[in-house]
Amino acid sequence: MDPQSDCTLVTAVSCHDIFDLQTGQSDSSPLAKGTAFAFIKAVQSVNERLVKLSEKQTLLFEVILLGKDCEEQAKSKIFDSAKYYDLEIGKFCFCSKEKFERTLQENHVKLFLSSDRDDVHSALKAGVPAALLCQQADQQVQNQLKVLFSGDLIGLTEDSTEYLKDLGFNDVQIHNFKAAKGRIQEFAMLIGEMRRRFGCEDSPLHTILMTVWGSRDICATALKTLRAWGLDVDEAFCLAGAPCTPILTVLQPHILWDDGLHNLKET
Amino acid sequence: MSLDPVQVMKGQDPMALSPPPASNGDSKVSWDEKEGFCDSVGPKKPKSPKPENAVTIAVSSRVLFRTEKEQKVFEEKGVEEYLKYQVEHENEPFAPGPAFPFIKALESVNTRLRELYPESEELFDIVLVTYNHANVGVRLINTINHHNLFIERFCMTGGSSPIGYLKAWHTNLYLSADAEKVQEALSEGIAAATMFMPEKQIEVSETQLRVAFDGDAVLFSDESERIFKAHGLDKFFEHERENENTLLDHGPLKGFLETLGKLQKKFYAKGHRLDCPIRTYLVTARSAASSGIRALKTLRAWGLETDEALFLAGAPKGPMLEKIRPHIYFDDQMFHVEGAVEMGTIAAHVPYGIAQKYPHKKKSTNSAK
Repeated sequence: MDPQSDCTLVTAVSCHDIFDLQTGQSDSSPLAKGTAFAFIKAVQSVNERLVKLSEKQTLLFEVILLGKDCEEQAKSKIFDSAKYYDLEIGKFCFCSKEKFERTLQENHVKLFLSSDRDDVHSALKAGVPAALLCQQADQQVQNQLKVLFSGDLIGLTEDSTEYLKDLGFNDVQIHNFKAAKGRIQEFAMLIGEMRRRFGCEDSPLHTILMTVWGSRDICATALKTLRAWGLDVDEAFCLAGAPCTPILTVLQPHILWDDGLHNLKET
Repeated sequence: MSLDPVQVMKGQDPMALSPPPASNGDSKVSWDEKEGFCDSVGPKKPKSPKPENAVTIAVSSRVLFRTEKEQKVFEEKGVEEYLKYQVEHENEPFAPGPAFPFIKALESVNTRLRELYPESEELFDIVLVTYNHANVGVRLINTINHHNLFIERFCMTGGSSPIGYLKAWHTNLYLSADAEKVQEALSEGIAAATMFMPEKQIEVSETQLRVAFDGDAVLFSDESERIFKAHGLDKFFEHERENENTLLDHGPLKGFLETLGKLQKKFYAKGHRLDCPIRTYLVTARSAASSGIRALKTLRAWGLETDEALFLAGAPKGPMLEKIRPHIYFDDQMFHVEGAVEMGTIAAHVPYGIAQKYPHKKKSTNSAK
């Protein structure tokens, strides 16, 4: 698989998310599963289905494992555990903390996923598309890869920034959100293409649009924008300021792409 | 009074929205977090009330609007054609459906409530909850705009069950065209009813919300109905007489009557008892002189009352409902629902209790209770 191919959805995930590197384990047993495990398995079933449709499939996910400051001992454990769990990992990239963003850029990563908000922010700052990897409440249940997009970001237009100002965002932040919309586009287009390979029902890939603060018109703009990008989302939610946690708890998305718009929980 | 109380409690600076400071190792996210992921926003209060404060009415697209043509495409040609059709007709708004007058009436009550209690969140909040694929979203939003409805919240679940979302929205009442989904909601403890399009449309009030309820198996449990179905009318009378002072158990719509009562009291408190924009009715086949007493005593003990109580002693409900012209009438028996709909009353079926096990006979005469 040529990672430089435009069609490959190169997704980088931190090894700290794939495996639980904290809890001590014996030398022989594999590492415990981490937050990203359900995501990787879901991605694999999407790839399986895509290949079933066409053997010469080029539009596929490729998962890269990213290890920041990993010790040698940990590295071999990681290799072995990946093999043990039958994880299809295209590349293992170990680098230092400083070279982290560079590594992402060099690998033409189309999406970097992490459950650590700081990492997501650093990647975004370095111009790498990044999104939040969400912990699944029930690791077993998901047989669908669920990707959630923010309607507040995608539905953003020149004229519709007033409500963000009302919510307390300043001009710089609003400018950043507009830039974020561009970053999402490439990923959304690829996901849209993938999604179209499957029918309405029984798709291994499930896409969701959630507008948390925007009005229904913002939501409509977001739906039309995504459609123009080639992505027809399966589910859409418009919350008009209602708390999103209860809805997200039901939805259980793997990927939440909002570029930090909703990243407001201060420590 | 404009700060969201949730933010004030957290003691957070709503303006500090820049990327978070160096991680303290606890920046992982999981949906089990009690505090809302997106809750701590800027200082302005959202226009729509918080779901736990409001009376949330979830309504499906098929009862809010008329979608028979589209339904037909779906049934005859399948989901892909259906979605294509919807997108092609995206700029054609749907016509109002059976729940439309009810929703409009809720909005006028809200207007009155906002006038009297501008800071209160105790309002009706209407959420569109539909199984529809998000593709239909644009047409639905265009329709909402066209009819000037105040609906800012919706869930288009793309085929998944909406029950989880109904709970997340603290739904007080769910109206749908699909009996199965309604039954699922009822079994989860959410008041729900199936709505039907009246064949002729009678005018309903634009200034006063009128809600009518059947008694047994709607406001009350179906315990007495069971006696009637199993042992007949005489046994029923005997049983009710003997148990006159025992409260009936509650039915699925009791909670909704309760919330209407709470809102009514808010109007009374501001001197609007005579011209209250909410009016409730009990329309029961029980008799005033006998079996009706138990019903009244139960309501009284619950601290509830309806503005009018009509004891029909078995007489057909249609003509009475035609006089009342409710925006919605809840009954557990399809026979009564159909009879009402035939006469132009907007009726909703609550598929609860023993009556569901008995196939309804259209030509049933006296179901006197």
